[in-house]
Amino acid sequence: MNVGCHTSNFIHVPRSRQFGNKNFSSLMLCSLQFSVSLGMQDDHRLSTSDLEKKYGTSIDKGLSSARAAEILARDGPNALTPPKATPEIVKFLKQMIGGFSILLWIGTGFSWISFGIQLAQGVDSAFDNLYLGVVLALVVILTGIFAYYQEAKSTNIMASFSKMIPQQALVLRNAEKKEVPADQLVVGDIVEIKGGDRIPADIRLIFTQGCKVDNSSLTGESEPQSRSCDFTHENPLETRNIAFYSTTCVEGTATGIVINTGDRTIIGRIASLASGVGNEKTPIAIEIEHFVYLVAGVAISIGVLFFIISVSMRYKILDSIIFLIGIIVANVPEGLLATVTVSLSLTAKRMAKKNCLVKNLEAVETLGSTSIICSDKTGTLTQNRMTVAHLWFDNQIYSADTSEDQTTQPFDQSSPSWTALSKIVTLCNRAEFRPGQENLPIMKRVVVGDASETALLKFSEVILGDVMSIRAQNKKVAEIPFNSTNKFQLSIHETDDPHDKRFLLVMKGAPERILERCSTIMINGKEEPLDSEKAEAFQTAYMELGGMGERVLGFCHLYLPENEFPENFKFDTDSMNFPTSNLCFVGLLSMIDPPRSTVPDAVSKCRSAGIKVIMVTGDHPITAKAIAKSVGIISATSETVEDIAKRLNIPVEQVNRREATAAVVNGMELKDMSSEQLDEILREHSEIVFARTSPQQKLIIVEGCQRQGAVVAVTGDGVNDSPALKKADIGIAMGIAGSDAAKNAADMVLLDDNFASIVTGVEEGRLIFDNLKKTIAYTLTKNIAELCPFLIYIIASIPMPIGTITILFIDLGTDIIPSVALAYEKAESDIMNRRPRNKRKDRLVNEQLAVYSYLQIGIMQSVGAFVTYFTVYAEQGFLPSTLLGVRVDWESNAINDFEDSYGQQWTKYQRTYLQWTGYTAFFVSITIQQVADLIIRKTRRNSIFRQGLFRNKVIWVGIFSQIGIALILTYGLGHVTALNFTPLRFQYWFVAVPFAILIWVYDEIRKLLIRRYPGSWWDKNMYY
Amino acid sequence: MDRNSSIGGMEGQLRSPSQEVENKDEEKVQDPDREKDELKADMGSKTWADLAGEMKIFLWNPEERTCLGRTAKSWGLILLFYFIFYTCLAGMFAFCLYVMLLTLSPYTPRFRDRVSPPGVMIRPYLNGFTIAFNVSQPNTWQPYVDSMHHFLAAYDDKLQEEKNIECVPGQYFIQGGNDSEEKKACQFKRSLLQNCSGIEDPTFGYSRGQPCILLKMNRIIGYRPGAGVPVSVDCKVQKGNESHLRSVDFYPGNGTFDLMYYPYYGKFTHVNYTSPLVAMHFTDVQKNYLVPIQCRLNGKGIINDLNSDRFLGRIIFTLNIGK
Repeated sequence: MNVGCHTSNFIHVPRSRQFGNKNFSSLMLCSLQFSVSLGMQDDHRLSTSDLEKKYGTSIDKGLSSARAAEILARDGPNALTPPKATPEIVKFLKQMIGGFSILLWIGTGFSWISFGIQLAQGVDSAFDNLYLGVVLALVVILTGIFAYYQEAKSTNIMASFSKMIPQQALVLRNAEKKEVPADQLVVGDIVEIKGGDRIPADIRLIFTQGCKVDNSSLTGESEPQSRSCDFTHENPLETRNIAFYSTTCVEGTATGIVINTGDRTIIGRIASLASGVGNEKTPIAIEIEHFVYLVAGVAISIGVLFFIISVSMRYKILDSIIFLIGIIVANVPEGLLATVTVSLSLTAKRMAKKNCLVKNLEAVETLGSTSIICSDKTGTLTQNRMTVAHLWFDNQIYSADTSEDQTTQPFDQSSPSWTALSKIVTLCNRAEFRPGQENLPIMKRVVVGDASETALLKFSEVILGDVMSIRAQNKKVAEIPFNSTNKFQLSIHETDDPHDKRFLLVMKGAPERILERCSTIMINGKEEPLDSEKAEAFQTAYMELGGMGERVLGFCHLYLPENEFPENFKFDTDSMNFPTSNLCFVGLLSMIDPPRSTVPDAVSKCRSAGIKVIMVTGDHPITAKAIAKSVGIISATSETVEDIAKRLNIPVEQVNRREATAAVVNGMELKDMSSEQLDEILREHSEIVFARTSPQQKLIIVEGCQRQGAVVAVTGDGVNDSPALKKADIGIAMGIAGSDAAKNAADMVLLDDNFASIVTGVEEGRLIFDNLKKTIAYTLTKNIAELCPFLIYIIASIPMPIGTITILFIDLGTDIIPSVALAYEKAESDIMNRRPRNKRKDRLVNEQLAVYSYLQIGIMQSVGAFVTYFTVYAEQGFLPSTLLGVRVDWESNAINDFEDSYGQQWTKYQRTYLQWTGYTAFFVSITIQQVADLIIRKTRRNSIFRQGLFRNKVIWVGIFSQIGIALILTYGLGHVTALNFTPLRFQYWFVAVPFAILIWVYDEIRKLLIRRYPGSWWDKNMYY
Repeated sequence: MDRNSSIGGMEGQLRSPSQEVENKDEEKVQDPDREKDELKADMGSKTWADLAGEMKIFLWNPEERTCLGRTAKSWGLILLFYFIFYTCLAGMFAFCLYVMLLTLSPYTPRFRDRVSPPGVMIRPYLNGFTIAFNVSQPNTWQPYVDSMHHFLAAYDDKLQEEKNIECVPGQYFIQGGNDSEEKKACQFKRSLLQNCSGIEDPTFGYSRGQPCILLKMNRIIGYRPGAGVPVSVDCKVQKGNESHLRSVDFYPGNGTFDLMYYPYYGKFTHVNYTSPLVAMHFTDVQKNYLVPIQCRLNGKGIINDLNSDRFLGRIIFTLNIGK
């Protein structure tokens, strides 16, 4: 941690990548302290009156509205500046030149160049090239706008989310208290805070009453810290009289002067620091880039190859360039990137329904390839509330129900000891329900009081019913609240039995302290002397409960004798004029923040999905381990090194570390570890818990995991988690407990803070990866059927089988909805039963996919389309043999008596019209075969019949849209000659049907062989 | 290079233990590689030398004896597979075309909707629709004359008498019987073209600045032009001074296509068919001037005003006759 804390370091931090991320956390700490010592004046040292002077305010009256407005105008609103966004125009231009757009721009350029040349030569058809160029440019611009719009939309979801909770602050202005939005606060404002509030700015406290703040979002320490007006420490971070922006006030009230607002707050500085950690490219972005390179490579090499071929075949250079355009257009799946975006955003929408809000579309898939999840404990794995888990009375341990929606408690409540214990639990408790919640389930009610008292209150409310009326019946006459010297809490009550005039003294506290004060113990309702045997039993129970990581409380009582303490006795808590020893021990209650009920299942799902779940928590190792065990992060059978040592009764050093599958690593140990040691731990142990870790160490752990080549998901809520969230392949912020800084740094927000939601996210991510494979395979296939016509046209000099515009109508018309429909496909097998994909080996587009789509199904489609093409020409009089080599005469404008196979003579326009009919027929054939292609792409391994033809209804929407668009183009727009479609005879729609069936049958055979002979040559070459 | 393992990685859970072990070995073997990759990734883009080295290994890996990532056996198998696959596809393609061709009649195409109504062409045709020459320079009009002679060779009176029969004018010459029967063709002697026959004036009037141009209607099987009334031809100046074209003579018979030459039965059965012609003798055209002329067919069912097709039922050409 002790990286030299020099000013120079800090100056470099905003450009911090040169330092390497490993040093980042330490740098951050340094710079934090540095910036604090420099930036945060000495406000904590100043006296109240000095402060008043400094900020020109008055503690009684506050600022005047005019002055506040002035300062607001000077300093800006009290809100964190969101991380600097890329300017919209840059984002837009990126879409315009990203992916395939460059290729299409090249095509556009060529079109316009050849238009210019032809225009200069006075060729009639020159304008065709101009139009083609315009169309290509339009395609690029429209798809660019679409992609931009999609991205903007998903960003907007996030923006609306962060605006959901407007914060209010109670501020003194013009000597009047009023609520203003927190972002209107200015330096010098006097604000009041009470328990439950979020601190609206950095505040120097001037008046406090039992004020405690939870600084976990800043420091990661989850214990509430008390706040007072006293200057206790030189370091403003440590002193008690400052409360920081975005931390929460847990209890008590306080008044303070705002000393820093917005980005000048401590949190603001850390947040701007976090933006220095670069975002890694998402796996899906890498895959798509890979895919774009692949397709562009194919397009360019085929284009150049055929350019050379056509030049050497003595085509004119200009013609060759036009061929080149055609080849590029045919090769580029223009609609695909838009389709991918739509598919991803559909999945993002689906995930949002399951409480995973995705900020960055590509993160949808990242979650699917995740191989390690570093999860927080509190709130993510657990319910984030203390709950009574075990009871001990009558020498027996009882378990309580800790589920989220308990309404009764099943353990045996017949013993009189329980009656006594329940009375203590109910009475010796200061927590109260906030009024007006009678209709809510008990577990959901808001309680004023600390965590354990809340737990006890709810526990007794569940079992006994109306606690408040019980307390009213047992009127409290005296009370000593809990404090850290006594370590107990005591209260004295009248009893609810009108005949019993004794007072009841009830006490709870640290078990050993309570036991010290007892001389008897209650067994089955009877007080028995506390002998060593019984004390032993107590110790065993205490150890056992403590060993489960639970917080244990002891309870005892004493009925004060009536003669010594008459009805009107005045109890004095200062002089303690009542006995506090020789009490009767009643029982123990232990509490834990129990795991969410859905988590164990989710963890085991992760396990079978090959995802390592690592717990990273600031809690005590024992608690952490207990929770890890109960949710399955540490499985029942595995042992840590310490466990083995204990079992074999040998020192820890002698244990063979490889035998231990689990490890619990303390933050203290982690501090002294080299990165090699950390790597070893991450490598050797499959079940790891990091306890007592600071948020800074989280970053180190994440980096360690990434060194293993893993795709790491990290959950976090505090501000200090933001570097780790950024560094992770996918950062997951908590929607409820998370700070804004964490949400800003994250790629995803869990709306319900529930670990199980991550697992559903993983499932969706894996599904979309599989489905994108299918989409891409589907889209790539027809590119060959679009490309082949050009190649054969060049080589065999037949009339052009399909036009460039027609190709665009397939790519951006008929094929769009079907390829999106594949995103709705259900998983073929249990995707949560396989390992995460290896990002180096399992590519989105692998060789098999490209080869199978291009060289097998694509060729089949081409053959089918060519059969239609030749049929159309033959039935009009041009037999296939006549067509070969006719290109030059066919395209000659002067030849208007071109003779067909039967001796009939054709004008140029008649031929061109026939050529367009050919385009239409070719187009229709590809469409028909794409229907078959769509159906076969539903699965990669299973038979279509197993997957169910009708389960995915959207596929059918796709098929009907495809055919519908084709019908509209051929018959509706068939008379618009510019589009090169002509009305087609009905029978030509069916010429390619045998080939469509062939495609289906062939693919079924392929899948059958893959299933039959796993690992065979066929499997290796045909499975994509 | 990763191919062999990429499939294995997918279904990790389902694999047998032995495979598992194998896989571990594989991964161990690849580990150093991986680290190297990472190192490079850290350093930024790979250097050209690295790329070249990788390319070389990809082209020929001496250790694993692979070329382009495949061993000889692997290449053999994959090539064999594609050979069989494409042979089958080619077979299917050929079969489909064969079946399709079987359904076609060899004498009449199934559809004739795209080829009718007929288009029009002229002779002489050299390389465009501008006929320009100087009367005083024979070498400027000689190619046109040669083209005419060449074209009319098939219409030689003797040849026509020898091969074709004389038909009854004024009615369609309908020949029943089987499709495959040879059809008779009607005589069209070049002498019918009179002044434009090239018999009396072998220069077709070019030497006098009064060129003959032959007009023919495209052949369409079974087409009966004019629906009983012979199709006639007229010519006028296209978009220009009407007075530039002062007189045109049409042969034969006032510029009509006699019905007896129709219908046409296709080149396989109507072997000796010679398209009827109309000769246009431009006897008085403005000299030294570009005169655009449009000649049209007129008759029932003839379309001659389609904007998109300037050769359908009409033809536009330019005369430029110099002194």
